[in-house]
Amino acid sequence: MDRKVIRKWLKDPEKMGNKYSLWAVYFCTGCGIIEVPPVITSRWDAERFGVIPVASPRQANLFLITGYVSLKTLRAIIRTYEQMQEPKYTVGFGSCPINGGMYWDSYNTIKKLDKYIPIDGWIAGCMPRPEAIFVAVTHLWTLIDKGMANAYKKYRKQYKYYRKNQEMALGKLEWPPLYPIN
Amino acid sequence: MNKKNLIDELKLTFADIQVNEDENGMIKIHAKKEQVKTILRYLKGNGYDHLALVSCVDWINKKEFELIYILTSYLNDNKSYQEKGDVYLKIRVTRGGPEVETVIGVFENAEPYEREIHELFGINFRGHPRLIPLFLEREYDVPPFRKDFDTRKYVEDFFNSIPVIPEEKT
Repeated sequence: MDRKVIRKWLKDPEKMGNKYSLWAVYFCTGCGIIEVPPVITSRWDAERFGVIPVASPRQANLFLITGYVSLKTLRAIIRTYEQMQEPKYTVGFGSCPINGGMYWDSYNTIKKLDKYIPIDGWIAGCMPRPEAIFVAVTHLWTLIDKGMANAYKKYRKQYKYYRKNQEMALGKLEWPPLYPIN
Repeated sequence: MNKKNLIDELKLTFADIQVNEDENGMIKIHAKKEQVKTILRYLKGNGYDHLALVSCVDWINKKEFELIYILTSYLNDNKSYQEKGDVYLKIRVTRGGPEVETVIGVFENAEPYEREIHELFGINFRGHPRLIPLFLEREYDVPPFRKDFDTRKYVEDFFNSIPVIPEEKT
């Protein structure tokens, strides 16, 4: 191991631990999920980067939103996101979560995902290659190192705006607010 | 019963329907909307035991909806596609206050198809036990699959009106 890295570990073990064990929720949204099985199996082997898919959101801290988000999926995404433990990181995968992509004039697909939940980074493309996930993960490492992967803190601070937008899109939500709204 | 016989029998049994064979060897029936149930029951009795699909087309210039029932047969499964002669039954419904009788009594699997068409095209199925929403989360003024539903205006009015989250002050 590099001496520099040892110093980093001693200085901030929590951050380094978060960085190298990103557990991703195995949540299938739209067509982008087709890129995830090759990523986690032997061809690309995401475990080299410490990324493992996990079935339960309560054990995960990376949320890949892979593909278009319909209103019905948005409800599930918000619930999943709110169940995850902090620190949690979200990455929008593909064009559709960014601005609607090819569903830009659809009646039922939401256009800008970061109006409803906070996003740390985007992977553009339709479809992005599996390598793009690793580019995103290494990018996320840099952001965590610099203390810039703060989307979950923003969610806590700006929660009333997020909740308002979520209620505008989905009507009344059947679960109580995660943080106090004043 | 082979295909030729069936076409002849259909013409004899039902008075005002058009029956012909299309270029793919399938039987195409144009009928009135009151006849749907009787024709489907008749075809079911003649070996067409599977309702594959109920579909809908919005012909906005003719001010009509077209409902399409596709029937296939499991009994003749060893025959080729052309020999089997799947059946298309087409009916027309006017756009103003469209209403059709449900065919659940004949084919039970029509239930989700009819619910879907009710939701996306706004056609009322008389006698359907539960015409509750199937896919959509929101309510729309015009059912969204109709041709006069303006998707771009809807996106402008609804999705683009949701504000962007303000940046936090540091």
